Amino acid sequence: MRSTRETRRNIQRVAMIPAIGFALLCVFLAYWQVVAAPDLRASPHNTRARDRINKIEPGEVLDRRGNTLLGVVRENDEWKRTYPEGEFVCHITGYNENSGVQRTLREALLGIGEYESPWAEFVEGPLEGNDVTLTVDLDAQKLATRLLRGQRGAVVALDAQSGAILTMVSAPAYDPARVLASQWDYQMFQQDPNKPEINRALQGVYPPGSVIKVLSAAAVLDLDRVRRDTEFECTGEHTIDGSTITCPRTHGTVTLDRALQVSCNTTFAQLGSFLTADEFVDYFGRLHLQQRAQVPLPSSQGSVADFSDDRADVLLAESLIGQGETLVTPFAIARMTLAIATGGMAVDPHLVDRVSSPSGATVRASRTREKDRAISAETARAVAGMMVNVVEEGTGGVAGIRGIEVAGKTGSAQNPHGRAHSWFTAFAPADNPRVVVSVVVENAGAGSEAAGPIVREMMAYLLGTR
Amino acid sequence: MTAIHDGRRTELLLLLFAALIVGIGGVLVCLGMGRPILQATRGLAVVGAIIAGAMMLDLADPRRDRWLLPIVAVLAGLGFLLLWQLNTSEASRQLVWMITGSGMMVAVYYLIEDVRDLSRLKYTSGVLGLLLVGVTLAFGVEKGGSGRWLDVGGLFTFQPVEVVKILMCIFLAGYIAARWDLLREDTRGVAGFQMPRLRHIAPLVLMVVFALAIFVGQRDLGAAVLFFGLFVAMTYMATGRKAYSLIALVLFAGGSVAAYYAFPHVATRVDMWLNPWLEPTGRSYQILQALFALAEGGLLGAGFATGGGATIPAATTDLIFVVAAQQMGLAGAVAIVLLFALAAHRSFAIAWQSTDSFGALLAAGLAVVFSLQTLVIIGGVTKLIPLTGITLPFMSYGGTSVIVNFIALALLMAVSRDCVPGGSER
Repeated sequence: MRSTRETRRNIQRVAMIPAIGFALLCVFLAYWQVVAAPDLRASPHNTRARDRINKIEPGEVLDRRGNTLLGVVRENDEWKRTYPEGEFVCHITGYNENSGVQRTLREALLGIGEYESPWAEFVEGPLEGNDVTLTVDLDAQKLATRLLRGQRGAVVALDAQSGAILTMVSAPAYDPARVLASQWDYQMFQQDPNKPEINRALQGVYPPGSVIKVLSAAAVLDLDRVRRDTEFECTGEHTIDGSTITCPRTHGTVTLDRALQVSCNTTFAQLGSFLTADEFVDYFGRLHLQQRAQVPLPSSQGSVADFSDDRADVLLAESLIGQGETLVTPFAIARMTLAIATGGMAVDPHLVDRVSSPSGATVRASRTREKDRAISAETARAVAGMMVNVVEEGTGGVAGIRGIEVAGKTGSAQNPHGRAHSWFTAFAPADNPRVVVSVVVENAGAGSEAAGPIVREMMAYLLGTR
Repeated sequence: MTAIHDGRRTELLLLLFAALIVGIGGVLVCLGMGRPILQATRGLAVVGAIIAGAMMLDLADPRRDRWLLPIVAVLAGLGFLLLWQLNTSEASRQLVWMITGSGMMVAVYYLIEDVRDLSRLKYTSGVLGLLLVGVTLAFGVEKGGSGRWLDVGGLFTFQPVEVVKILMCIFLAGYIAARWDLLREDTRGVAGFQMPRLRHIAPLVLMVVFALAIFVGQRDLGAAVLFFGLFVAMTYMATGRKAYSLIALVLFAGGSVAAYYAFPHVATRVDMWLNPWLEPTGRSYQILQALFALAEGGLLGAGFATGGGATIPAATTDLIFVVAAQQMGLAGAVAIVLLFALAAHRSFAIAWQSTDSFGALLAAGLAVVFSLQTLVIIGGVTKLIPLTGITLPFMSYGGTSVIVNFIALALLMAVSRDCVPGGSER
């Protein structure tokens, strides 16, 4: 063979071309696998993430005693949700993956995101999500659902010591399985004028009526403008800037203490001379009446009147008795009551007790919430004492339980939709609070009529069985 | 003599290392698929067949290349393990093909007493190659994404293109080696370029144009690119004239543009290459799924033995590489590319160390085919070039592909044995 050297050189030159090609392959691989990877993974045409998630067996949602509230079954090669407790916990479970805790606790239930265990599949076989244990008590849910049957309203019960939500019921409720039975059922559900999908406990905003007097009293006492025994004159009506606030009865000379017991509107309207609108708004915020609930469910904010216009004095007087433009959620009223019960600390109640991995280990437990001091302990004690008198001697007698000192406040909130909303908020035992219960029943009249008996039943159950 | 023994020992150690890698991989697959750990021996069987082959090659003549077999053992072993996760029955058949292929490699190595004798078969090879192509064009059936298949009396089917690539290498190497001087020296000036006389080059050009036309006609673009590249590379290596390559490149560019407008299937490939988001659920589904798989792999991979080929079309054949890249990430994908590059380099090295022109050209031809095939399919799935269906040597599922690649390996071994002083073992 001739010119071996030249041939050798030619072959080596040709060999360079694939070498460049292989180097280019590495560059392109790096581009797709690292640089462009995040965009490709997020592409709507990329079903991989969805497919992988669909393979995971989602965790269950349990109540505080381990009862299954939201179950899971394998059906047609897919994981399907079951609702064994139906309407009793419907506003917590929701009815599909985009409602209730199924939406808000999705990552915990699927074991993805921050709850992820990368070795789970290797070590534990098929992927399973985490179980979520809630603080609610199924039996209390059932009781509250029964008590509200046929009415519109909400029941919120809190553990006064831990701040755990024991009961959260909204009426009317719905059975998730029945809602999803057919397209027709679903449309009926969506178009129901009573709006069963709304969780009134967290999302319903109502004028607070007289239950706000707890806040009004706490504010003036905390600011040291008025004492429990300061006397006021009730002539049956009180006029400010041409607007008149009336009392159902003429109470005559009453102390602040007595005024709360009988829910005297004129006395509380007169408190407007002892504090400014800004101070009222300040206490409204301090007692977390404005905040959304810090729980994984949708909730509404409370609101107060805009005091900037020239009717400010009228608005303030109305706000102090819970009428006018003040709006709150039942949950917020329970949270305010909790602050009185805990000696003036504003605590955000929690709904999730713990998240447990498939092997049973606790992935995350509910932490003790940070507490802000809302009012002084002395003020809280004074208001609590006044609320005890409301139940023992005043309008709240209906919530009294033999042998247990209950502190409470009634409310009947005027509204444009018919009869007043019936409110009642209470905690017990007064000297060492264990339970807070707040109830609203829409268009049901005075607080002692509809809401009061429900509070008593809930209290009796929660204190008796725990 | 010591050099031979050193080479043997190195090769054996490397083969055992390949067995270790594939063994661990097999255990992971068993764990991942919930199978008895003992079944990991299936992966080892692939490497074992190659180790046994290596030993039997040495029984015939130990002066041969020592690097190709360990590389092939890793690629074939990994390919089998990936296949196993995707399709158990295909994997079982692939295992049989691998063992058969290894046996064929030994048989070919034994049968060819001197690789230079093959140059006498150049016209036989050429005619046989064209015949195969013609028969395929007439009777072939399209299966999956990887070109045409030929059904032999209902007994078995095979992919003629895989066989033709070896036949073409033998033909081109033989023809060019025999006319080496004429092609180089007996030239005329044509439009400023020194061109060989037409009578020297006519059969060559005719043969290649015919083969190309047929492959383009039967929509096997990958094969067309392969043969065109082979022809250009062989001509350059023989003549050392860049002008030919330049002319070829211009022809290629012109041909590509013409093909784009003439053949809708070519246009589709190119359009989907330029903009894969055009029809994400239609024509560009395949390339997008390949890219998604690459992205899924990321830097370190989704994990070996995690499956994941369900959404990838032709995952076991043309797109086996993206499954590997998804499981092993950029790290694993680059490692595999480097193994292919190394195998290509060794094949070229055998070529340039060869003291015989036919041997050199045959080895170089096989090296070009091997490299181009790897570049076309991996380049296709990484959107470096338009995606065309072609198998990835030693990794894709397919009996013809596996056996032909082992035969090509045997030919490279034979060249290193017969044409390279010292067996090219260092």
